[in-house]
Amino acid sequence: MSTLRIAWRNLWRNSRRTWITAAAIALNTAVLIATFGLMRGIVVDMVRQITLLSVGDAVVHAEGYRQERSFFKPIPAEVASRVLAASEAAGVRAAPRAFGFGLVSSGSKSSGAMFWGVDAAAERRAFDLPGRAAEGSFLSLPDERGGGRTYLGRPVRELVLGRKLAKTLQAGVGAEIVAVVQAGDGSLGNELFTVTGVLGGVGEEIDRSAAFIHRADFDELFVADGRVHQIALSARGALTDAEVVQRLAAAARGAELVSWRALLPAVSDMTRMFDAMMWIFALVFLLAAGLGVTNTMLMATYERIREFGVLKALGRSPWGILRDVAVEAWLLALSATAIGLVVGLAGSWYLWARGIDMSSLGGDIVVQGVTMNNVWRATLVPMDVVGPVVAMWLACVLASLYPAARAARIDPVRAMTHV
Amino acid sequence: MPGPTRVCLLACLALNAMPLARAAEPAPRSGLSARELLDHVDDLYRGASAHGRMSMKVVTEHWTREMKMEFWSLGKDRSLVRILEPKKEKGTATLKSGDNIWNFLPKVSRVIKVPSSMMGGSWMGSHFTNDDLVKESRMADDYDFQVTFEGARGGDEVVEITCVPKPTAVVVWGKVVVVLRRADAIPLRMDYFDEDLAPARSLVFDGVRVLGGRTMPTQMRMQPQGKPGEATEVRYEQIEFDVPLEEGLFSLRSLQR
Repeated sequence: MSTLRIAWRNLWRNSRRTWITAAAIALNTAVLIATFGLMRGIVVDMVRQITLLSVGDAVVHAEGYRQERSFFKPIPAEVASRVLAASEAAGVRAAPRAFGFGLVSSGSKSSGAMFWGVDAAAERRAFDLPGRAAEGSFLSLPDERGGGRTYLGRPVRELVLGRKLAKTLQAGVGAEIVAVVQAGDGSLGNELFTVTGVLGGVGEEIDRSAAFIHRADFDELFVADGRVHQIALSARGALTDAEVVQRLAAAARGAELVSWRALLPAVSDMTRMFDAMMWIFALVFLLAAGLGVTNTMLMATYERIREFGVLKALGRSPWGILRDVAVEAWLLALSATAIGLVVGLAGSWYLWARGIDMSSLGGDIVVQGVTMNNVWRATLVPMDVVGPVVAMWLACVLASLYPAARAARIDPVRAMTHV
Repeated sequence: MPGPTRVCLLACLALNAMPLARAAEPAPRSGLSARELLDHVDDLYRGASAHGRMSMKVVTEHWTREMKMEFWSLGKDRSLVRILEPKKEKGTATLKSGDNIWNFLPKVSRVIKVPSSMMGGSWMGSHFTNDDLVKESRMADDYDFQVTFEGARGGDEVVEITCVPKPTAVVVWGKVVVVLRRADAIPLRMDYFDEDLAPARSLVFDGVRVLGGRTMPTQMRMQPQGKPGEATEVRYEQIEFDVPLEEGLFSLRSLQR
C-alpha cells in the first residue's frame, strides 16, 4: 500500500510533466478505442449485411451444387423438409429457394437473369432483403394476394428485379416482362410477368442479375416440380453461424450445410484481416505512448538519483527499486487510460449514434460484392475497449523498465555524491 | 462463331444466295482443290431460297425431346423456323435477319430479341448455339487450310482438311478438321477444337440421299465433347431449293402470325 502511495506522490512532484505524459497516453487510448470501434463497425456491418440481408448464417445445398450450380442438383426433397422442420425447433428461420437461369425481356431490351423462386413469407420472416425495395414492394404474401395480385386492376404474376438488371431492361414498376427459360423437361418455358418491385442496392450479384418470383410461378415456368436448390438459414443474431451449423447438422445429413464463412471465404478472410490490421495500427500508437513514458520516467529517475542512492544504502534491493519505478509508470498509465477511456467511449458513442455519412461520396460502397451501409457507424464490443486499455498499461510498464533498471543498478556511493 | 457450323441444320436457315446454277451443278469430281472442297461443303445446303421440314432430337443427361419444324430461308441472311411439334411449343418461331435473332412465343404472344450476351447460348435447348444460326462466312475465307490426310478410312476414300482460323477471323474455334468423301465431296464429319486445341464437339453426317434435287447428307448429329450420351440429331425430311418467297415473310410482323 505504501508503495502505491509513494508512487502516486512521486508522480505529482512534477505535475506539469506528468500531465503532459498522461495527456499523450489518454489521447492515444481514446483514439485507439474510437478507431477500434469504427473498424469493428465495418466488420459487423459486413457480417450483418450477409447474415441478415439474404445469405444467412448458414446455407444448405445439395452436395456438389455450389461447384456446378446445376438446376438438376436440387436438395433431396426429404432432406429439405427435414431441415425446414428442424430449423423451427432450433430457433432458426429458414428460406427455401430455387434458382434457374433464363432470359428476361422488356420491350426491345433483354438480358440474362437468375430467377429466384422464393417463398415470400419465409423471406420476409428470415431476411431484410424484402424490406429493401427501392420502388414498389417485394413479392406479396399469400394472404395479401387474395387469389392473385393485381396491378392497375388486372391480375399479374409478380416479379421483383435487382437494381442494375432493372436499369438494363429500363423496366420500372408496372413494366411487362417476358421470361424465357430452358425448363427442366427441355421445353422452352415462357411466361409473362409484371414488375411489382425493384430492389435498392443489396449486393453485386443480386443487383446485376436477380429476378425474384413466387415459387409457384417458378415451378410452372421451369417445370421444376417444387425443387429447392438452397435453404438459407438465419438466426437473426440470436446464434452464431457455428451454432446454426451445429444445431442443424443432423437434419441436413444427405446435403451440404455450410456457414456463410465457407460460402464467402473472401469476405470471411477480410473480417479476420481487419482484426490483424487493427492491432498493427494499435502497435504504432502503443509505441508512441510507450516512448513518451520512457522519456518521462528517465527524467523522473534522473532527478531522484540521490534518493535512490540513499534507498540502496539503507538496504533497498535493486528489485525493490525496479518495482517502485514500474508501479509509478503503471499508476500513470492507469490514471491516463481512465481519462482516455471516458473520452474514447464518448467518441465511439458519437460515431455509433451519428455515424459518418458516406453517401456524399456518391454511389454504393461495395466491399467484396457486399454493399455496405451508407452511414459508417462504430460498434463497441468489450474486447475492443479492454484490449487497448490493457495493452496501454503493458506498454507503459514495459517502457518504464529501462529507466527502472538504470535506477536499480545504481552504485549508492556515487549516487549520493552526484551533483 | 462464323465458319463451318452453318453446314449443319443452320446452314439451311442461313442459305447463301448462290447462283441458281449451283443447284443443278453436278457433284464435283475428285481432284478438286482443298478450297473447292470446302466451298462445296459450304454451298451444299444453300440456294437462293429454300423451304423444307426437319426434325430435331435432343438428348441430354436430364431429358430427351423431339421437335418437328418448318423452315424458310432467303438469301444468306434471312431465315425463319417455326416449330410444328410438340404441341406445347407449336408456333414458337425463330427469325434470323442479319446478325439478329428474334423468338416468337405464342403462349405469351410476344416477340423477344436474343441479346448479344446470350448468342453463345443454346438454341431451343439443342447443342447448337444461337451464334450457329447467324454467322455466315465461308470456311475458305475465315480459315487457313491444308489437306492433312488422303486415302482410305472406314471403307471410304476420304480427304481430311485441317482448318486453322486466320488471325483476323472472329472465330471461337482453335481448329476445325473436316473429313469428306473424295468421290463426291460429301462431308462425313467435322471435329471442332477449342482455343487450347482440345476437342470441343463433333458433327457427324449421315443418310446421304437425293433431296431437293441434290445429293447430300440428310442427317447430322452434333456431339459435345465430354458429355457421352448427349447429342442433337437433325434430320431433313423435305427440302426444296430456289422456291419463290416473299421478303415480307422474314419480318417481325410475319413472325407473330
